[in-house]
Amino acid sequence: MNKPVSTGSARRPWLAIRKDLTPHRQLFLTVCSFLLPLAIWCLFSYTPFIWHPDMKLEISADRENVTVVYTAGDHVSKEFFPTIVSEVQAENVQILANREAGIEPSGSSSRIRRANQKILRHIATFAVEKGWLPRNDRENDQAIYEIWKAVATDKIPDAKRRLTNENLAIIERNWDLLSTRSDVFNSRLLPETPLEKLVPQGKAANPVYLPDPHEVLLQGWSLFTADLADDETSMSDRYFHSLRIVFFGFFLSCLIGIPIGILCGAYDFFSKLFEPFIDFFRYMPAPAFSTLLVAVFLAHDAPKIALVFVGTFFQMVLVVSNTTRLLDESLLEAAQTLGAKNLSLLRRVIIPGILPNLYNDMRILLGWSWTWLVIAELIGVKSGLTEFIETQGRWRNFDAVFPIIILIGITGFLTDQFLSTCRSYLFPWTPESAEKKRGPIGRFFAWVINRDVYVSPK
Amino acid sequence: MSNPHTVELPSYKEQSPEVARHFAEIRERPVKLEIKNLCKTFQNANGSVNVLNDVSLKVHRREFVSVIGPSGCGKSTLIRILAGLEDATSGSFLLDGDQPHGPGADRGMVFQSYTLFPWLTVKKNVMFGLEVAERSQQAAEAEAREWIDLVGLTKFADAYPRQLSGGMKQRVAIARALANQPSILFMDEPFGALDAQTRAQMQSHLLQIWRNVDITVLFVTHDLEEAIYLSDRILVLKAHPGEVLEFVEVPVSRPRSPQQFLQPEFLATKQRLEELIHPRRDIEEEALPITRMTNVGDEAE
Ligand SMILES: Nc1ncnc2c1ncn2[C@@H]1O[C@H](COP(=O)(O)OP(=O)(O)O)[C@@H](O)[C@H]1O
Ligand SMILES: [Mg+2]
Repeated sequence: MNKPVSTGSARRPWLAIRKDLTPHRQLFLTVCSFLLPLAIWCLFSYTPFIWHPDMKLEISADRENVTVVYTAGDHVSKEFFPTIVSEVQAENVQILANREAGIEPSGSSSRIRRANQKILRHIATFAVEKGWLPRNDRENDQAIYEIWKAVATDKIPDAKRRLTNENLAIIERNWDLLSTRSDVFNSRLLPETPLEKLVPQGKAANPVYLPDPHEVLLQGWSLFTADLADDETSMSDRYFHSLRIVFFGFFLSCLIGIPIGILCGAYDFFSKLFEPFIDFFRYMPAPAFSTLLVAVFLAHDAPKIALVFVGTFFQMVLVVSNTTRLLDESLLEAAQTLGAKNLSLLRRVIIPGILPNLYNDMRILLGWSWTWLVIAELIGVKSGLTEFIETQGRWRNFDAVFPIIILIGITGFLTDQFLSTCRSYLFPWTPESAEKKRGPIGRFFAWVINRDVYVSPK
Repeated sequence: MSNPHTVELPSYKEQSPEVARHFAEIRERPVKLEIKNLCKTFQNANGSVNVLNDVSLKVHRREFVSVIGPSGCGKSTLIRILAGLEDATSGSFLLDGDQPHGPGADRGMVFQSYTLFPWLTVKKNVMFGLEVAERSQQAAEAEAREWIDLVGLTKFADAYPRQLSGGMKQRVAIARALANQPSILFMDEPFGALDAQTRAQMQSHLLQIWRNVDITVLFVTHDLEEAIYLSDRILVLKAHPGEVLEFVEVPVSRPRSPQQFLQPEFLATKQRLEELIHPRRDIEEEALPITRMTNVGDEAE
C-alpha cells in the first residue's frame, strides 16, 4: 500500500541540502540565531551551579596589617574567600578575648574611635545595595549609625534574610556597646574599645569580564540617560563623534578609491601604474602609521579620519579594480560594435555594469572601516566610544564596556541591513531584487528612482 | 521514411532559371565586403595555432551569406576579425571599399550569448547605439520604438532583459544592432542557444526583417538546414587550419518557406554540405566496448 504523500510544509524536512526553507521557518531560525547566544549567556549568568568560579564581596572589612584591601564589589576566587573570612574571624576572637581579659587596647582612644568609625562604615555599601540606605547617604555617618541601630533592634525585616547569623550577632554585640555611649552618631562618643569587624560576606559570581545580561542592560541604559557634569562628554556625543570619523574616512576613501579602482580595472595602463605599489602598500598595517599620521595631521579628528582612510583606501582600489575586471567582456564587445569608444564605454557600460557589485563591495568595506575606527580613536587624543571602552576596561567595569561594543555591532549591522534593502530598489534589474516581493513602499521607491523604466508586476 | 542517400537527387549545382537570374542579379550589385587572403594565428602556451589560413571572398550588397564548418574551424574568429574585435595576422578586408580600423557602428554584431545590457530596459538597449551617436532623445526613442515594433516586442519595451525569454532577448539584440543602421550585420550562431521551435520562429522572423531592411548579413551557424533555409550563398570552412572548402550557391528559390525543407534542391544542397563537413568515414558507427547491462527481455533497437 502506498502512503499518501503530504505536500504541506509540515512534511518537508528541516534539513535538506541546498533547499530553501519556508519563509516562516527562515524567520524563526533568524530569531533563534540571536536568541541562542543570548540564552547561553543567560544560562551561564543565572544558573549558580554552572561555572561561577568567583565570590563577589558584598561586605568586606579591612584587616590589620594587610596591604591588599578587598572592598565590596570585588571578585575573589572561591578558594581564597574562606581565607579572608577566617582571618577576620580570628581578629574578632582576639578582640573579644582582649575585652574579656580587660587588656587595655594599645593606641590612643581617639585612634580607636577613628578605627571604629571605619568599621561602622563597612555596612554602608551593603545597605545601599539592599535599599536600606539612600545612595547619597553612603558616607553619611549619622545615617549609617541609624542602620546599625535599625538592624540590631530588628527594625529592618529584610536584615535577617540578607545577613549571616554571624554578622547579625556581631551587629547586635557592637550595638550593645554603641547604645550605652550614644543613641545618635557622635564621633566623640564612639566606644573607646575596638568593635568587632563584620565578617566578609559574598555571593557566587562569574569573573568580572562576564557581567550578567541585566547588569549590562541596566548599565547601558544609565550610560545614555545619566545626567553629566559639564566637563563630561555624553555618550550620544561620543557615538556621533565615532560615526563621523567612520563615515568621513570611508567617504574620502570612496571618493578617491573608486575612480582609481575603476580606471585600474578598465585600463591596463593605470592598472600597471598604480596596482603594484598599492598591492605592496596594503601589507603595511594602517596602525603602524598612527604616530606618523598624528605628526602630519596633528590633533583632533584629522589623524583619525586619515587612519580610517589609510585602512580602507588601498583595499578599496584593489577590490574595485577586480570587480571592474569581472564585468562580462562580451558586454564591452557588444557596446563597441554599437559604436561606443573609450569614454562612452566607461560611462555607459563599465560604470552601470559594475554598480551592483560595487555597491556590495562598499558594504563590506564599510564594515572594515569600523575595525579601523577602534584603532583610530586611540591615536593622538583618545576620543569617542573607544576612549570610553578603554578607560572602563582598565577599571574592569566590563558591564559598561559591553553595551558600547554591542552598540557598535548593532550600528554596523543595521547600516548593512539598510543598505542591503536599498539595493533591490536601486538596482531593480538584478536577479536578487527580482526575488524580493515589493510592498507599496518599495514600489513607490522604485518609481521615484526610475520613473520611466519601472514595470508594474502583472 | 525515405533515406536521402537512396533517393536520386539532382546536383546541388543545378539552378532553376529563376534562381540563376537571382544570382546574376546579386553579382551585378556592388561588393559590400571583400576579404583578401585573411590569416589568423593565435599564440598560446604550447606554440602558435593557425586558425584561419588564406580566406578570401566577396559579399555583395543585400546578400545573405552563411558560414558553416566544424566546431573550432575559426568561424567566430573570422567574424570577430571582421567586426574589429580581433586583429588579423595578415591579409585585409574592405567594407564598401575602405579598410575599417577597430570596431565601429558601421558593422553590427549579434552574439550567441545575447549580450543585452542588463541594467537597461528593452527600449534603452535598442537606443544604446543611437544615444552613443548623440542623436536627440526624441529621435532615438521614436526610432527605437519602430525597431521594437518590427521585432514584435512592443509590449515589452519597458521590461528588463532578465524578464525576457531567450528568443525575445535575441530579437532585442537584432533590433539593437539594426537600429544603428549598420551596412553589414554579423551574426555568430545567434539561435544556437534556442530550442528547436523558437529557433524556427526566429529564422522566419529574421528572413522577414532582412526582406524589409537594406542589410547585408554574414551569418555563422553550425546548423546546415538553417544555413540553407536562410542564405543565398554558404561559405564552407574546413578545420585546422580554417580554409575555404567551397562557396556554395543555394539553388533553393526565394521567397523561402519551411515547406522547402523537403524540396530536392534543398536536400541535394544539404547532402553536399554534409559531405563537405563530415566526410563519410567520420560518421561510420564505431562499436563501443559496452557490455550488455540490462535484463529486460525485449530489444530496445
Ligand atoms: N583568444 C584565443 N587564443 C587562442 N586560441 C583561440 C582564441 N580564440 C579562439 N582560439 C582557437 O581558435 C580556434 C577557432 O575558434 P573559433 O573561431 O571560436 O571556432 P568556431 O567558432 O568555428 O567554433 C579554436 O581552436 C580556438 O581554440
Ligand atoms: Mg564559435
